[in-house]
Amino acid sequence: MSGESLENDPPTLDRSKNGITLRGVQSPIGAKPGSAKKLTIKNFRAKPTLPENYEKETWRKLQEAVSAIHRSSFIRYSLEELYKAVENLCSHKIAKNLYSQLKEVCESHIKQQVHIFDDDVDGEAFLRRLDQLWQDHCQQTIMIRCIFLVLDRTYVLQNSMLPSLWDLGLDLFRENVLNLEHVRDRSLGGLLQLIKRERHGDTINRTLLRNLLSMFSDLQIYHSLFEKRFLIETEQMYAEEGRAKKNELEVHDYLLHTEKRIAEERDLCLSCMDSSTLPLLITRVEEQLIAEHTESLLSKGFSYLVVENRTDDLKRFYKLLSAVKDGTKSLCAHFNKHVKNVASSIVLDTAADNSMVQDLLDLKEKLDHIVEICFEKDPKFVESLREAFESSVNRRQNKPAELIAKYVDQKMKSGNKEATESELDRTLDRIMLLFRFIHGKDIFEAFYKKDLAKRLLVGKSASVDAEKSMLSKLKQECGGMFTSKLEGMFKDMSHSKELLSQYRQHQANKPDMESCGVEMTVNILTMGYWPTYTPLEVRLPTYMVQLQESFRKFYLSKHSGRKLTFQSTLGHCVLKSKFKNGNKELQVSLFQTLVLLLFNEGDSFSFPEISDATAISEAELKRTLQSLACGKARVLTKVPKGKDVAVTDRFEFNASFKHKLIRIKINQIQLKETVEENVDTTERVFQDRQYQIDAAIVRIMKMRKTLSHQLLMSELYKQLKFPLKPTDIKKRIESLIDRDYMERDTDNTTQYHYVA
Amino acid sequence: MSKIDDTRKGDTSNEQLFTLKKWNAVAVWSWDVECDTCAICRVQVMDACLRCQADNKQDGCVVVWGECNHSFHNCCMSLWVEQNNRCPLCQKEWVIQGTGK
Ligand SMILES: [Zn+2]
Ligand SMILES: [Zn+2]
Ligand SMILES: [Zn+2]
Repeated sequence: MSGESLENDPPTLDRSKNGITLRGVQSPIGAKPGSAKKLTIKNFRAKPTLPENYEKETWRKLQEAVSAIHRSSFIRYSLEELYKAVENLCSHKIAKNLYSQLKEVCESHIKQQVHIFDDDVDGEAFLRRLDQLWQDHCQQTIMIRCIFLVLDRTYVLQNSMLPSLWDLGLDLFRENVLNLEHVRDRSLGGLLQLIKRERHGDTINRTLLRNLLSMFSDLQIYHSLFEKRFLIETEQMYAEEGRAKKNELEVHDYLLHTEKRIAEERDLCLSCMDSSTLPLLITRVEEQLIAEHTESLLSKGFSYLVVENRTDDLKRFYKLLSAVKDGTKSLCAHFNKHVKNVASSIVLDTAADNSMVQDLLDLKEKLDHIVEICFEKDPKFVESLREAFESSVNRRQNKPAELIAKYVDQKMKSGNKEATESELDRTLDRIMLLFRFIHGKDIFEAFYKKDLAKRLLVGKSASVDAEKSMLSKLKQECGGMFTSKLEGMFKDMSHSKELLSQYRQHQANKPDMESCGVEMTVNILTMGYWPTYTPLEVRLPTYMVQLQESFRKFYLSKHSGRKLTFQSTLGHCVLKSKFKNGNKELQVSLFQTLVLLLFNEGDSFSFPEISDATAISEAELKRTLQSLACGKARVLTKVPKGKDVAVTDRFEFNASFKHKLIRIKINQIQLKETVEENVDTTERVFQDRQYQIDAAIVRIMKMRKTLSHQLLMSELYKQLKFPLKPTDIKKRIESLIDRDYMERDTDNTTQYHYVA
Repeated sequence: MSKIDDTRKGDTSNEQLFTLKKWNAVAVWSWDVECDTCAICRVQVMDACLRCQADNKQDGCVVVWGECNHSFHNCCMSLWVEQNNRCPLCQKEWVIQGTGK
């Protein structure tokens, strides 16, 4: 609603003549308004005279028309006539009078109008009246300006201090209507009341609101009068609402409410207010409903939402907090704290070690999903999650590493048929995510190696591909040094196979060995690659000793400087056996074999007799006999009966042994891995660390030749996969200097050189 | 080989209750040395010497025995004798008895 649309000339204007041809002509009627300024200057020279009462008469005519417009009644004169009259007056320097007379008429008209506000009508009725007055005023001003167009384009243009007719109208309206205290207060109060009702849920007359706010803008009192108060009221209202709703509503509902409020405010503002108000308004709402309560909302409901995996609510939380200063920072801090709480409680719950790894994997998967879906993969949250997991997993020394290794073992064992190759690979990838957090990666390696050894030696691995895939994942994560011994184990397995086929060929040329009828295989392990096994001396039947020695001789002929130690605890055998109810094939351990072979010599033996014949240690023998006489497949009978074996027991061959299968595996009763054994494993890892540090220092120094202490340290932290103490490293450096692997710079003691 | 007095022998005859058909044995090999640790680099002789570990050349690092029966990493000893042709442990003149394979 501005005067711009009136720039067009009145339709009756004759545009065929231009100002030049009119020079000297008495009446400049028909001059092109656009070139009025130029014309006027040229017309100064020849001033035509007017009839004496022309000005008075003309003004009377014009005044009559203006009054008619103000009354909204019929105008007796044509618009063209009036237009030309104004044009004439202007060209005779009477413009100044005309302007002030017009101003006077309009002002007095407006002054007469404000009586409509004299009664104490309030609220919307008042606003409607004001709106009507404003709409009329605009209409009238447009028409008046139409008639007085030449005045606007000549006189006003030359006097830059004077407002145009349109602006004059605005000034008059502002001065005489809105500047009246009672009008101003009621209009502002009415508008705010209207907005309050809308916020309260009422349907209000938005057109009225929009019109009046647009009037405020036109009168240039929108910002000073309306917006300032509006924002203050908004702030107060939402401050109050925030305090109340925060206690009244669950966090979930509070977030929904806030989101709804912001949408409503945006809608109201876009449809009724100046667009510059929008960011100010939304900021106020966000400050009062969110920023003010960030901490208490987070403390009250955040953990619950994460525990319950309420992704929609969490997404909303993130979005709302993104809008306020430091909002996501607080969210992230709470997220971090929550993850640490939950993950640490999983890690520290010693009663639930069996489910620790699965629980951590599930937790990680869920939280990864939340970070991706709800927190837009915000790097701050990604890092925070990583840090929280890392610190939680390492709250307990060694155990998590051990359990992760065990978990992998369960997945890799042949018994595990639940997963396809690709599912298994995905599981391994997830495990690697946990493994990455472990500080003592060498602890993992030690336990992983123990299990891997069992899988390889007993042929219990579910899939060679999966084993190789896991190995390459470890290698990728920790480097070749880390996996070199594990890889050595696989190499040993394939070397053993090659060697065995060579041995078979070698044996084929010696027919006297054939008569034993025993198919012997030997796996040769490189000491150091494999877990450390304590050799147990046992007494083998002569022909087994001969088989063993024959192989040893063959092996040592291939390799010089070596010695070979047979590991009786790791051996296993297949025995053909005759029972009354049929022949069976027993898959048994070497110890079980030695005991059973004894029963070829007699039907009944006492514990000490078996012990003497086999030389198996008492504890091992007890477990062995228990497995043969007290387990599921009882090929021996214990006298007296009972679950446990005592040194006073006798054992008899169970001739009437029955079993539905031909091939029977009799499990050696496994000693649960004792605490001592695990302590042993970790102890060995700790001892090994100094070699690892030495090797890493030499490796780094050999590559860099010269390095400062600081850089050497940081390289070591990067390369070594276990926690390092600076004092330990200093000791190793001193030791390497003693052994001439490196030397201190003679001038700079914090600088080292590699010694080739 | 003597089979006479071994009644526990796995035999092809059907007299026996138990006959050994298959034997999967496991053996561990190590260098036949008196001392596990190389006195020069102070790493166990079963592991590669420090320099070979640094180069990731574990496989080629073998043991060397002197006439004095002392043993070291071959790499370590080769460097040692360039400066001093005596065994670091017994100071006898270093004469190679053999190397591991
Ligand atoms: Zn050495
Ligand atoms: Zn070497
Ligand atoms: Zn010596």
